[in-house]
Amino acid sequence: MKALSSDSEDYPRALLDLRDPPHPLWLEGDAGVLSRRAVSIVGTRRMTPYGARVARELATAFASAGIVVVSGLAQGIDSAAHEGALEAGGISVAVVGAGLEAFLADSRGRRGALAQRIRDSGALVSEFPPDAPARTWTFAKRDATIAALGEITIVVEAPAGSGALITADEAHRLGRTVYAVPGPLGARTSVGTNTLIAEGRARAITSVPMVLDAMGASATTLRVDRDPIGARILEALAPAPADPDALARRLGLRPAQLTTEVARLVVSGEVVCGADGRLARR
Amino acid sequence: MCARRTRGHAIAIAIAAADRPETARSVARVTACALWGLETALVTVEVDVANGLPAFVVVGLPDAAVQEARERVRAAIRNSGYEFPLRRVTVNLAPAERRKEGTGFDLAIALGILRASGQLAVDVAALCLGELALDGALRPVRGAMPRVRHAVARGVSEILVARANAGEGAACGIAAFGFVSLRETVDHLEGRVRVASAEVPTRAPEPTPAVDLCDIAGQETPKRALEIAAAGGHNLLLVGPPGTGKTMLARALPSLLPPLDDDEAIAASAIHSVAGLADPDHPVLAAPPFRAPHHTASHLALVGGGSPPRPGEVSLAHFGVLFLDEVAEFSPSVLDTLREPLEERAITISRAGTAATYPARFVLIAAMNPCPCGRFGDQAAECRCLPDAIERYRGRVSGPLLDRIDLRAHVPRVPYERLREERREASLAVRVRVHAARERMRDRLRGTGRRLNADLTVAEVRRFCRVDEDTDKLLADAVRARRLSVRGFHRVLRVARTAADLSFRDEIATEDVALALLLRGE
Repeated sequence: MKALSSDSEDYPRALLDLRDPPHPLWLEGDAGVLSRRAVSIVGTRRMTPYGARVARELATAFASAGIVVVSGLAQGIDSAAHEGALEAGGISVAVVGAGLEAFLADSRGRRGALAQRIRDSGALVSEFPPDAPARTWTFAKRDATIAALGEITIVVEAPAGSGALITADEAHRLGRTVYAVPGPLGARTSVGTNTLIAEGRARAITSVPMVLDAMGASATTLRVDRDPIGARILEALAPAPADPDALARRLGLRPAQLTTEVARLVVSGEVVCGADGRLARR
Repeated sequence: MCARRTRGHAIAIAIAAADRPETARSVARVTACALWGLETALVTVEVDVANGLPAFVVVGLPDAAVQEARERVRAAIRNSGYEFPLRRVTVNLAPAERRKEGTGFDLAIALGILRASGQLAVDVAALCLGELALDGALRPVRGAMPRVRHAVARGVSEILVARANAGEGAACGIAAFGFVSLRETVDHLEGRVRVASAEVPTRAPEPTPAVDLCDIAGQETPKRALEIAAAGGHNLLLVGPPGTGKTMLARALPSLLPPLDDDEAIAASAIHSVAGLADPDHPVLAAPPFRAPHHTASHLALVGGGSPPRPGEVSLAHFGVLFLDEVAEFSPSVLDTLREPLEERAITISRAGTAATYPARFVLIAAMNPCPCGRFGDQAAECRCLPDAIERYRGRVSGPLLDRIDLRAHVPRVPYERLREERREASLAVRVRVHAARERMRDRLRGTGRRLNADLTVAEVRRFCRVDEDTDKLLADAVRARRLSVRGFHRVLRVARTAADLSFRDEIATEDVALALLLRGE
């Protein structure tokens, strides 16, 4: 574990924009990644499957374009963003809301494993002494740090009062562009993001290439030639996961007619069959 | 002097003769049968009535219940109007080296004493099973059916039991005489009363299934999964928000299952007999058992146990269905005890001094909510569970257990328009397909003792589950992409085999494998 003082070589310049830059910045992993181009992707812990997919897709696209994905390693959107970046072989930085030792001692299971993977290729950072426990105010301070680290900030899903909105406000204050993923009216998890857009504090994301363009990167996704029914299945699954019967209904087909094509998409990894038996797009 | 001595000698002989009538023997032998789990052994009850201080001893490793037989037998003999000999009565249960359990030896001991003391004029060749009440009434015992079957195999030709057990005996193809009391038994043996042997009981009428498939609207994929589970004996997990019909689907399963054949019926009924659940009028089950233990069930209740070891729900569901509703609410350690019976198709319960093996060849149907609040994935409601809480909730059903569940189906909320739909397939039509598919499996597995695709060995999977090149590529991709373990690969092929059998096809088609992959949910 290293402590970067604000006058050290490795200390990320971006943080100096903050009113109260972290001093020192505690770090586990590679200090070099902090000076690379980065995007902050944040959102609520109680995400919807739609939010999970969009967070993952955005992170994957940025990571493939060589841009570091910064988030807060909370459950929900944060974890989905980190996972998406790592899956694409990219680099991710997690800014945690407690001391690093205290955080690592607390996170076991899936999030513990995710923290390990982030440290192996990127970095875990914290502005709090290693043994500092997590408190409400530490999260709020952390949220601001995330905003400073990214060139732009993307809020995927946020209900009213979400910590992700603190990140958005801070990014706005720092003059960083804020993007928000518009959500369905009436969905609790999208009240915050929709408000950001309505009040002109964030731009609406209409597609993944659009935000990539904004950072001067281009999407390098290969378009796979797919038979029309495969494309229709992916399209039907875009808004939300569906059980096979509902999917067939949306496409106007019988479930049996879809089986083979859906299985192919599952095998190729474009669709996942969730633990509850529903199909979801990745 | 000499004459006096002769007279005294003669008196002594006369007394001895009066005491021991012509018909009595010093040692009487009656056959009974011991039971450990489902394991049985004939026991010869030897009774010796000899001079000495009045005593009543039972030897031959009796347990507490057999020891207490002394008190029941003594009272029953006296209260039936006979004399309990005021001499030294020794009862030996041979072979003497294994512990004997339960109350089933009462009748044999009582008849032995009556015979040895000359109050019963004839030898008893039949197998005697029954518990005595203090007033001499005869009570039924647990596990009559496996004991009688064993005796039949050993050449015993008739049995004497309590009236409530007579049906179980007759079902094993033997002359079974049922009595209400010790007195009646003796009268029958000595020919004063003629009790007719019990008639072979009819199978229980098939119960009307609680739910028919046509009661359930929509849910095509879950119904398809249910049909495959019914035909091939594959385990099924139903996941969905509350009130969407998971329990109804599971309860519709019995309506899809063909009745038990004779061997299955006897094997399943024997376990119910051991558990004391046999219906005296219809001791032989007709329909496959459907067991639905509550989620507060303990290890003992689920897999069996106690001393002596009693069968648990997994064994009572032998050749039938074990339904675990709200499976995530079961204690995780209790659920994990299912792993052995799911793999071995039997459970061995070892206790100090005894071990019992009960078969447990059941289809597992489990149902659970997708998250603690139950609303995850429900279009009509918003789930407020944190992702970690959802993961913890699902983690309550352990990976190794999930790995043994071949089919996973999401049971969604059905839109209102679909509720009004009239055209639905009834259980009977599906049952016809299930029956035909099972016939095909039976032909394939003839001579192996196994009957269902779920039980195919790896070698048989290789032999019977061939796929064409195109399908093979799909499977290869799945294995390469690590969406499928080797165990999962074989399980997918077994399910695909069942799907093909339900479509009356010899060859497994791509769509069968695709369906199996999707229902496995990997």
